[in-house]
Amino acid sequence: MKLFMRMDEVLGKLGAFFRKVPYIGYSAFFILLLLIPYYHSTDVISSGQLGIFAYIVIITVAALGLNILLGYSGLISLGTAGFVGAGALGVGVFLELGLPFELAAIATLIVSTLIGALIGLFSLKVEGIYLAIATLFVGEILRQIFTTVPIFGGQSIMIGSVTLLGQFELSTFDQAQRRILFVVIAFLLLIMMIAMHHIVKSKTGRALLAMSRSSSAAQAMGISLMKYRLMAFSLATFFATFSGIMYALYNQSVPTTQWTLDLSLFIIAMVVVGGYKSIYGTFIGAFIIYGIPNLYLKELFGDVSFIFSGVLIILVILFYQNGVAYLATDIRLLYYKLKRHILGGARGKATDD
Amino acid sequence: MAEILRIIFNSLETGSAYALAALGIVLIFRTSKTTNFAQGMIGALNAYVAAYIALNQGFSVWVVTLIALFTAFLTGITIDTLMIRPAKKVLPVSKQIITLGIIMIIVGIIPFIFGVNNFQLASFFPTGSIDIVGATLRFNTIFVIAVSFTVMAVMFWFIQKTKWGLAIRVTASDEQTSKLMGVPTATVTMLSWAAAAMLATLAAIFVAPRVSVYPNMLLNVQISAFFASTLGGFSTFLGPVVGSYIIAFLRNFTSFYISDIWGNVIVYMGILVFLYFRPYGIFGKKPQKKV
Repeated sequence: MKLFMRMDEVLGKLGAFFRKVPYIGYSAFFILLLLIPYYHSTDVISSGQLGIFAYIVIITVAALGLNILLGYSGLISLGTAGFVGAGALGVGVFLELGLPFELAAIATLIVSTLIGALIGLFSLKVEGIYLAIATLFVGEILRQIFTTVPIFGGQSIMIGSVTLLGQFELSTFDQAQRRILFVVIAFLLLIMMIAMHHIVKSKTGRALLAMSRSSSAAQAMGISLMKYRLMAFSLATFFATFSGIMYALYNQSVPTTQWTLDLSLFIIAMVVVGGYKSIYGTFIGAFIIYGIPNLYLKELFGDVSFIFSGVLIILVILFYQNGVAYLATDIRLLYYKLKRHILGGARGKATDD
Repeated sequence: MAEILRIIFNSLETGSAYALAALGIVLIFRTSKTTNFAQGMIGALNAYVAAYIALNQGFSVWVVTLIALFTAFLTGITIDTLMIRPAKKVLPVSKQIITLGIIMIIVGIIPFIFGVNNFQLASFFPTGSIDIVGATLRFNTIFVIAVSFTVMAVMFWFIQKTKWGLAIRVTASDEQTSKLMGVPTATVTMLSWAAAAMLATLAAIFVAPRVSVYPNMLLNVQISAFFASTLGGFSTFLGPVVGSYIIAFLRNFTSFYISDIWGNVIVYMGILVFLYFRPYGIFGKKPQKKV
């Protein structure tokens, strides 16, 4: 009994502390990410494995944006991959025009977010599966444009080394510089996580949640459907485009053909498996969907690794509906249940959470 | 004139493949309440079966088609019992991701069983054609169009006139109530998956001679089928079929007369604008929502 009291005290304080200062958690996460380029199962990570981790970091940002839609607003987008591609290829095109990287990124973000806002406008009229397919239309239009319009350069766009802030030239082909690039994209992920945290904890986040439960009730509470639908889709496209820009920054060569429906579905799978409405969960989801098959299953099973990842996705959905992120919550609930069981009903009131 | 006729025949042929796939998608959407992204992959898997048997046993395309339809039936039933039925209480979006899982499993299975090479599948009538005012109409095209129309006519007759069709329609409109009324909804859903798999396989075998058999052979068809279902309206069975032919015509005409590059983009934009004004498609009705 004393043990429980002690544990409660420590855990409760710790939890409260993290809730109060969320930056600490995110920063700790960032520092953990920084360890990846330097320590792995072998002493130094290979460039292929670092590339996989980088891809996870990059795609997490897109998945975070989608989580705003899926988790908070109850809307779906099948066009995410199109916008990730738009970010990556857009930066490439603007760089070819001679803009510095930062300006190219901002220009791409503005154009892409405006298109996203247009979809938001569309979502006022169309609902459910029709909206999902409408976003698929947008994704397909973007894909068609990438693969057939000559300015995107056929198979892929070569960007070459990128100059950041006008003085740091980084090339992905140099091992040391590639590590720095990884640090940069990890830092960008940190920024996006904190941004997401602030968005969902703000009035906007609450409005989106209200809207997802019942749009009529939300309207009755004075929430402008138009404003927040536009906001939700703009944010999602902003995140997706941002992730594309990170892709261009890290890989420095962008293929035109891979931004298909499959990638959009994978990004949705990351949110579903990781957990709706969870920021860390989105990263875990990305790791499970992309990292585990590519880092571990491929070595173990070779070509049939696809079967295992497919089975993994289905099993998580069937048996752990909330997503992996809620594992912690469930363990906590189990802990309280266990405690109540041991302590008996006498102290039941105090343990109600 | 000959050009226009050629485009019309071509559109009817591709439209038929879209229509078969779309009918399967709508059937599953109505009975299982999920969009089946694996529709194309299921068709491709069974097209592999057909091509593999044709290559190794030397059977004619007619025989292997029947075999493939039978394996498709089994595939549909397997998928429904193993993956869809246990997911009854899962959120709609999660259900769609289950179909993504199915895609991955099939993509993993195909090289495991059939190897990594693409296969070829012969058309039903490799030779023979008739001339209509200068445009060549191949027998195979006539056959594909005729079979598709027949299959769809039978499907509509089945859905509208038979007892099982009634079961499908009531399950589609309200599964809970149908169950209370004694409709075997589980069997209906299972048969819908089987039928959808067979329709996808038929579509796959029809397009196989032109694109060869490979895992993503139906990707284009499937996406067009989704678009067709949206254009026609998901709430009817007829809408998606009509939508399929409209999309096939529009795509062929715009890419021939306007621009090869921008043709598809123009068509998609046009449909998006159309959907803005008629959000539930040509035949669709606005679902009644209770607050």
